[in-house]
Amino acid sequence: MRILLIEPDKILASTYKRALVLAGHQVTMCAGAQAAIIAADQTQPDVVVLELQLPGHSGIEFLHEFRSYSDWSKVPVIVQSMVPAGEFAASWTLLSGRLGVTEYLYKPLTSLQRLTQSVAAA
Amino acid sequence: MAIHGNRQGAMSQQLLLALAEQLKLPLLQIARQAELGQPSDLPAVRTTAESALKLIDSYLLGVRLSTEGQTALALEPVSVSSVLYDVATDLTAAAQFYGVQLDLKVAGRYGPVLANRQALKSALTSLGMALIESLPALDAKRLSLDLAAHKCRYGIVAGIYSDSVKMRSVPLADGRRLMGQSRQPLHDISGQSAAGIFVADQLFSAMQLKLQSSKFQNLHGLAAVLPVSPQLSLI
Repeated sequence: MRILLIEPDKILASTYKRALVLAGHQVTMCAGAQAAIIAADQTQPDVVVLELQLPGHSGIEFLHEFRSYSDWSKVPVIVQSMVPAGEFAASWTLLSGRLGVTEYLYKPLTSLQRLTQSVAAA
Repeated sequence: MAIHGNRQGAMSQQLLLALAEQLKLPLLQIARQAELGQPSDLPAVRTTAESALKLIDSYLLGVRLSTEGQTALALEPVSVSSVLYDVATDLTAAAQFYGVQLDLKVAGRYGPVLANRQALKSALTSLGMALIESLPALDAKRLSLDLAAHKCRYGIVAGIYSDSVKMRSVPLADGRRLMGQSRQPLHDISGQSAAGIFVADQLFSAMQLKLQSSKFQNLHGLAAVLPVSPQLSLI
């Protein structure tokens, strides 16, 4: 699968990329929301793995922009974030509904194995 | 006096919260790299651990200077350019790791300033490390930071500059208010809690200096003005 990995930390991004490549996926890394939209246009990802805490434009802003294009309205998005899911409990309907987040993973508790399983199942 | 003490206590608690949030990242980096189990990752793990420990050390120094006040703050004549050189040396490994080019720019020969060398070095190192970690996420065309010293009307300005980090005084003031309460108090420059910047802020405050936005050679940055003492220039 073609994965678009949006992760602001360079070290984590390269670790996640290696794990996903070992699992047989093609991975494009982006650190910010604007670059991610351009990369999505170039690579047409099958799955997006997204951190919500990004400098400048946030992950939520990325999701609004990403979902505004009909080509990407059905692309599964897995949120993997430093923000605990509980903080988004009130807005989970928005995230899972209009913004199409298929799964929410809390980064500190998500192993590489768990991430690759989620990507494979997406 | 009690109000001042309460405010200081609250600030210190907010800084501790920001630090705790920031420290999740290096622990996570190490945990995930350990999961992959590649021996080639060991230097990266070491650099990550050293940077985290330096941040904690700087925080502790800031707390000590803030609580013990002037008795702990042993001021001495300090050469700003030599401090910047030491900071650049300390940051080199991390900068290479993050693909950031570090340049040292000292515009002229300056006399010594009255400061605490260890606190000044720790403040600039924390600031530099925070910016090194943030820079790759800013979609910048060129990843470079300048450690610079230059003269202004009030003294010698020492700080860290970039053409990507457009730090202005209003977001910095907002960030100080949001520290420890927001996940991204300086959201334009960091996806994290930016604890390194606030630890630097604390250290500069303990030295009666102020971290502020600054411009140098068309670059934006964060810096402090170190007053020059006429007596010291005789040394």
